[in-house]
Amino acid sequence: MNAPPYLIDMRIQAPEHRFSLWLPLFLLWPLMLVFGVLSLVLTILADITLFLLGQRYHYYTLLLLGIFATTTELRGTTIHIRDNATLVDLTIK
Amino acid sequence: MSEDRARILNMLAEGKINAEEAERLLDALDSRASAPAAGAAAGPAIKGDPSALIAALPKFLYVKVDGKKGENVDVKIPLALVRSGLKLTSLIPPQAMDQINDSMSEHGMSIDFNNLKPEDIEELVSALHEMEVNVTSEDGENVRVYCA
Repeated sequence: MNAPPYLIDMRIQAPEHRFSLWLPLFLLWPLMLVFGVLSLVLTILADITLFLLGQRYHYYTLLLLGIFATTTELRGTTIHIRDNATLVDLTIK
Repeated sequence: MSEDRARILNMLAEGKINAEEAERLLDALDSRASAPAAGAAAGPAIKGDPSALIAALPKFLYVKVDGKKGENVDVKIPLALVRSGLKLTSLIPPQAMDQINDSMSEHGMSIDFNNLKPEDIEELVSALHEMEVNVTSEDGENVRVYCA
């Protein structure tokens, strides 16, 4: 599994304004770790409860891990939109 | 186990390549190993480091749109994200999946994600490697979807 994205680089250029955002996602990693661990505990408890209740679907933990795995694969995504006057650039690193 | 073989198996385990690609790479590696013993008449063998072959596998899905007035859209999506996203569909709760299917059907896309199995996903991503869509409209708009 890859590391989660560590940076979002976003640029918007229009005739009347110019906007550039360099979002260091790695600063949010500790927060996300805490949130992830808490969510993991909750989903494990939910899955155990659903399993004991005989519910057919009890895969919320796997779903959470799958979402995390999908998020880590976002690295390398780039979106570039340009018309005559406007430019939008988004890069996930 | 050789270092190259371990690297290929690791890539398979990490989902960077699918089973079919791993098999192709392992076959290429085996044929390279057996080539000196079998002589020059042996089957196709790759020369040198197989990492070049691994690096040649497509890694990104590109969507490029060139408008008639000079506007353009370039989107580059890692194929691993496509694979991972498709695999995620098998874990979505059935109630949510029904809503997704209904919503997609309302918008003209009748795809039932409940029928998507893991082996289908591998086949789908594998087929994406060889896919290329080129659409050119009469007014000069050009849409290209491909993997590289």
